[in-house]
Amino acid sequence: MKTILTVDDSPSIRQMLAFVLSSNGYKVIEASDGEEGLALAKAHQVDLVLTDQNMPRIDGLGLIRALRALPGYRSIPIMMLTTESSQALKQQGREAGATGWMVKPFDPEKLLEMLRRVLGE
Amino acid sequence: MTTPGGLGPTYAALVELQELSARLMSQIDSAHREIGETRAILKDAIDRLMPAFTAMRASDAVQVMSPSKREAFSALQFQDISDQLLAHAQGRLSSLQAAVYQLAKAMENGDVQPGDSDVLCALVEQANDQLADLDLNLIKPVGKAHLGTGDMELF
Repeated sequence: MKTILTVDDSPSIRQMLAFVLSSNGYKVIEASDGEEGLALAKAHQVDLVLTDQNMPRIDGLGLIRALRALPGYRSIPIMMLTTESSQALKQQGREAGATGWMVKPFDPEKLLEMLRRVLGE
Repeated sequence: MTTPGGLGPTYAALVELQELSARLMSQIDSAHREIGETRAILKDAIDRLMPAFTAMRASDAVQVMSPSKREAFSALQFQDISDQLLAHAQGRLSSLQAAVYQLAKAMENGDVQPGDSDVLCALVEQANDQLADLDLNLIKPVGKAHLGTGDMELF
């Protein structure tokens, strides 16, 4: 079973993600901001990270940069799931090392399709 | 706000300023409270809907989720996004409230006397600085440009 770390400061978005992902065979670990996400990523073996952008303490871009600096996370897919859709921010995400970008609100089927593609399933 | 000789605020100007700061406080309080009430209504709606989605876990896999359920799923997220925006506006009002409160309190306590421009200038400067820092200190919650769902891009 693949493990997905979801990082979002909204409890209901985390709950919706957990519902979609766990009902499709993924193990889900949840963090409420970038700092907690980084700590959980260090403590667990994660197959994919799904992160929001605008969060307290460490935002999504900050989290991606910190994760990419860790040896175990140089090639792990990291997806942004955010309400932000500006090209400038997407470019920053790409430069930080994001694997892809999905704009909220997410469609469960499209999300699953994207995750399967990046996980090579 | 100063006397013709530039010696500081007149008594009449201070009374006007006191009234203005009190009205500002009252309006900000009301807006803050009304946003809080709206958020409570939204939260109640989300709290009622979430268990229904959780209950689907056993009976209805996402792959076969009906179009209406998918729409409801998106609507639920919009509610959440709206709540984040409202929380942000409330945070902004709280900072505004704090800045105006200091001015209102000083006026009410008679800290600023007619002709005394230094105290008044210091109060205005302090409030100005607080508001100038507001955008730096608030965490941006949402940057939603349109209402479409699920645009995605792989890099």
